[in-house]
This record gives sequence, structure tokens and C-alpha cells, in this order.
Amino acid sequence: MTRWAMVIDTARCVGCQACTIACKTENATPADVWYAPVAEQVRGSYPSARTTFVPSLCNHCKDAPCVKACPTRALSRRPDGIVMYEQKKCCGSRACMNACPYGALHLYEGSRGETWQRGGRPEEMLRNRRAASRFSGRGEKWQMGQRTEETLQDRQAAARYSEGTIQKCTFCAHRIDYGIEHGLVPGIDPEATPACVVTCPAECRVFGDLEDDDSVVNRYLRDRGPTYTLRPEARTGAHVFYVD
Amino acid sequence: MSSTLTEVSRARPVGEVIRVRDGRVVSRGKLPQNVFMDRFAVEPKVQRVWDKSHATWFTLMAIGGGLFILSRLLGIEEQLGHLLGMPVSDLISFVLIAIGGLVLIWDLGRPLRILRALLNPASSWISRGAIADFAFLIFGLVLVLPDLQLGNTHPLASLPWNSQAATAGGRVFEVVAMISALVVMFYVGAVLGKPRSIPYWHSIAIPVQFVSSGGAMAMGMIVLLEVANGRSVGWRELVVLMVMLAVEFVALIWHLLTSTNVPGKRESLNMLLRGRYRVLFPVGVIGCGTLVPLLLCIVGLSARGSRPAVAVVDFVLVTCAGFALRLVTLRVGVFAPVRGEAR
Repeated sequence: MTRWAMVIDTARCVGCQACTIACKTENATPADVWYAPVAEQVRGSYPSARTTFVPSLCNHCKDAPCVKACPTRALSRRPDGIVMYEQKKCCGSRACMNACPYGALHLYEGSRGETWQRGGRPEEMLRNRRAASRFSGRGEKWQMGQRTEETLQDRQAAARYSEGTIQKCTFCAHRIDYGIEHGLVPGIDPEATPACVVTCPAECRVFGDLEDDDSVVNRYLRDRGPTYTLRPEARTGAHVFYVD
Repeated sequence: MSSTLTEVSRARPVGEVIRVRDGRVVSRGKLPQNVFMDRFAVEPKVQRVWDKSHATWFTLMAIGGGLFILSRLLGIEEQLGHLLGMPVSDLISFVLIAIGGLVLIWDLGRPLRILRALLNPASSWISRGAIADFAFLIFGLVLVLPDLQLGNTHPLASLPWNSQAATAGGRVFEVVAMISALVVMFYVGAVLGKPRSIPYWHSIAIPVQFVSSGGAMAMGMIVLLEVANGRSVGWRELVVLMVMLAVEFVALIWHLLTSTNVPGKRESLNMLLRGRYRVLFPVGVIGCGTLVPLLLCIVGLSARGSRPAVAVVDFVLVTCAGFALRLVTLRVGVFAPVRGEAR
């Protein structure tokens, strides 16, 4: 059985936020919604103070508190460990937002909130981007994920944002599924790997199957351990591991 | 001269962002409810997902559930007045829980999907609570319907039970309604207390505080109804009110004194005792809302003539403090930093 996981080597992270932007581009998230922020932490004090970076995202927990808290079963865990959401089932109780220790769930407030005053609705953003893409002669391909057709992504991205409902990181499940369907290996082939992993210039993110001993994730864990997870006291069984 | 745009106070508890240009407010707006989006920094963050409407919902549910259970356990529901032939205390509890439910539905992102909230009772306390709300309203109403009086007629008197639950059928409806009411009182505390994300909330003390405070508010309502109906306030009612207040007081103090150094809870306690709520919580909730009513109950027990005044004052103090307790508890919900302490 597959179990997708990510390892983040914070010693390599330079805090460039490329993963943050790649995720936003890939998922066309609304303004003020970032699935993969890189948080800063200042450690120590002068003269030995230093800033470290904590790239974060949904931890796709084995014992996911958001899934337990959701009254409508809009959040669920796939057999491969990815915690998915279905906006058409979500009633917007936001119990998941307070249950998640990592702040990985976001409410699309639509016109009720400030969100769209800055960035425009996702449909508009997509239309604008499509127009810009045609103008620059890039045709129907995205700049990222070259083999993924724009129309498919358009539909996926537009379908994700339904006012008053929850949205979250899915480990780029659409890329993983697309890759597997086309014989690619997630974690190895860029087209089948989460956008944040592909983009990282410092290669601090590694993605793969935790159940496969030869996967890039397990090899990395063997070479670089020991690892830790964020908020271990929350006992979530996180599938995003960190090494310092 | 170039103008400068400044963003003021993105971290207000109410989640408001105010933009000021050259000293003048140019726009106001709401922040996203996910507080992790404010600043990409590893630090404690105060939740702003739930606020006044949830505190209102919690309060109404607690009073409604407690009123039904306690009036029936004390066997005084028939002495608190009647409306359309049905016990007023039962009707008030139905109305409060119905309004509480409507407040919850209004606050949902997608109110029309409320029935979907019944689908996950296996693990979600909101789902369990929603089922209990519906069960309470259905079984409670069915229980009192035979007493319905329109003019001089009792159109449903032929039903084989009555609101006093004297028959086996009525007893079943009463027990189911009481169990549902108990779940209604308890589940809001469990919604906060179960997840480990917010350390101040993750404690058995929160549901205990909410249930005992709900019981105290309900008893305040019962003694007020007794006064309104010209009935003398009984010693049993005052003793129950005292027990509820004593349990609430112990739960509050125990929660304030334990795990004080846990990241997240430490910041919550700072807000409660030294920060924004340093007056409202210790003086308002604990002092005026718990200890003073407790002392007044002792006065009422020893001086029978003072009981009507004690009942009115206790009702006001306990109800205001109950709402404040819930609101403050929500507002001091702090997510611990995602990674350990800075070294």
C-alpha cells in the first residue's frame, strides 16, 4: 500500500519562498491563502542569533484531527494517506480550522471577506492568466507542469473554490494521479511530484512513498536522520518529516 | 509630497485590518480567518475562527439544555408557569436551543448544508451535538404536545402520554429528551476540548466549566421563573445552584493553575490574567459571576425573605458571566508554535 510522505531538510532551506509561490501558482489559491508558507524563527540572541526557516504545509496526518472534527465528512483520507477535501460536502463549520495544529485549512470567504479586494476572484485570475498566456505565445501549456493541460487545471482550480467552504493542500494530488496514470513516478518525475518539491532550488524537499524501502524519502531518512515532526505533542501522526 | 500607506493592527482579536494613508483611514476589511496567514513566523497565534456568534450559540445551548434537565429532575416544571397549556420552562428551553441552532446555522459558510452536519457522529462532536439538538427538539416537543391548549380545547389530549411523563411512553420521551439535552450541554465544551491544537482548550476542565456554568445559568433562570410566578424559591434550587457554581469555580481555578508552562496555554493565561482580559476574567467571570452568586445563595439559604432578590441578582450575574466565560475562552484560544521554543 502506498503512503505518500515528504521530508523537509531545514538545514538546506534558504527561505526564498519559491515553494510558497509555486504552490500558489499551481493551485491558483485566492489572495491571503497560502498552502505552503515558509515560516521564520529567530533562535538565540545577539551575538549568536540566527534565523531558521520552517517550510510548512498540510501534514497529511495518519490520525488527522481535521478529518475527525469535520461534521460532514467533507475531509477524508485516501488510501495513499493524502487528506482530501470536497467543497461540495463542506458546510463551513470551520471545526477543522481550529482542530488542525498546523493552520493548514483555509476558509474561502469570497466576497464576504477582504480576500478578493486584493487579488480578484480565482476565476478572474485564471481568465487573466489564460489571456496573458495566449498573448505571450505560450499556447495552452502552463509554465509549470508542462505536461498538464491548462484546461484540466482550469477546471480543477475553479472547482476548488466554493464560497464559505474549506480548501487545503492536497500534496498536489492532481499531479500525482496524473503522473501515475501516465506511468510516471511521484517524487522522481517532476510532472508527478508536488509543485513545491519540484521548485525548491535548494532541494530541501523530498517526496515519495513511505512504504517503499527504496523510495527517495526512505533513502533520505536513512542517510540524514533523525527526523522530527511539527507539534509532536498533538499526536497527529504527521507525514511531513523534518531534519535539521 | 509622497503619501504613505500604512497597515494598522493586523493582529486584532476580531480580525480587522485597517489601512491608513497620511493619517486617514482609507479602508477597513476582515482578515482571513486562518491566523497562520498573517505572518509567516513561528510564534503563538490567537485563533479568530470562532467569536461572538459561537459564544452566543454555546450560551443558549447550555441554558436551554440545563433548564429542561434541572426543572424535570427537581420535578418543578409544572410549577414554573404554563403557556398554551404546556410548561413554560420546557418551552423556553426549546426556544433557546432552536435559536442557538439558528445562530450556528447562520454562522456556517454554507447554511443550507446543515443536514450534512449529521453525517459524522463517529468522531465529530459538532455532528453529535447537531443530532442531539434535533433529537431534543423532536422528543421534547412530542412529550409536551398532549398538553397543548388552544382556547378551552386540548386537541392532542387523546395521545397516550402527557408532559408529566406519567405513562411509559411519556417516560421514554422524557428520558430521550433529557439525554439529548445533556449532550447539547456537553458537546460545545467537547468541540473545544478534544483537539490538541489549542492547548488552553485541550482539557477536561473546559467541558466541565461549560456544563457547570450552563447548569448555573439554567438554575438562575429557574429561580427567576419561580419569582415571576409568585412561588417561593425553594432551598433545593439554591443548593443546586451553589453546587453548580462551586464546581465551576473549582474547574476554573484548577485550569488556571495547571500546565501553566505549556506553550500556547502560557500565552492564553497571560491574556486572561495579565493582558486584555485581566479585569473581565478574574473580576467579572470568577468574582462577580461565580463567587458573588455563591455567597448570595448562602445568604438566601439563611434569610428566606431575601430569596427573591437573590434570585434576580444571581440570574443576571450568572448569565452575564456565562456568556463572558464562553467568549473569553474562545478569544484566548492560542495555537502553540509549530516548532519548539526558540533556543
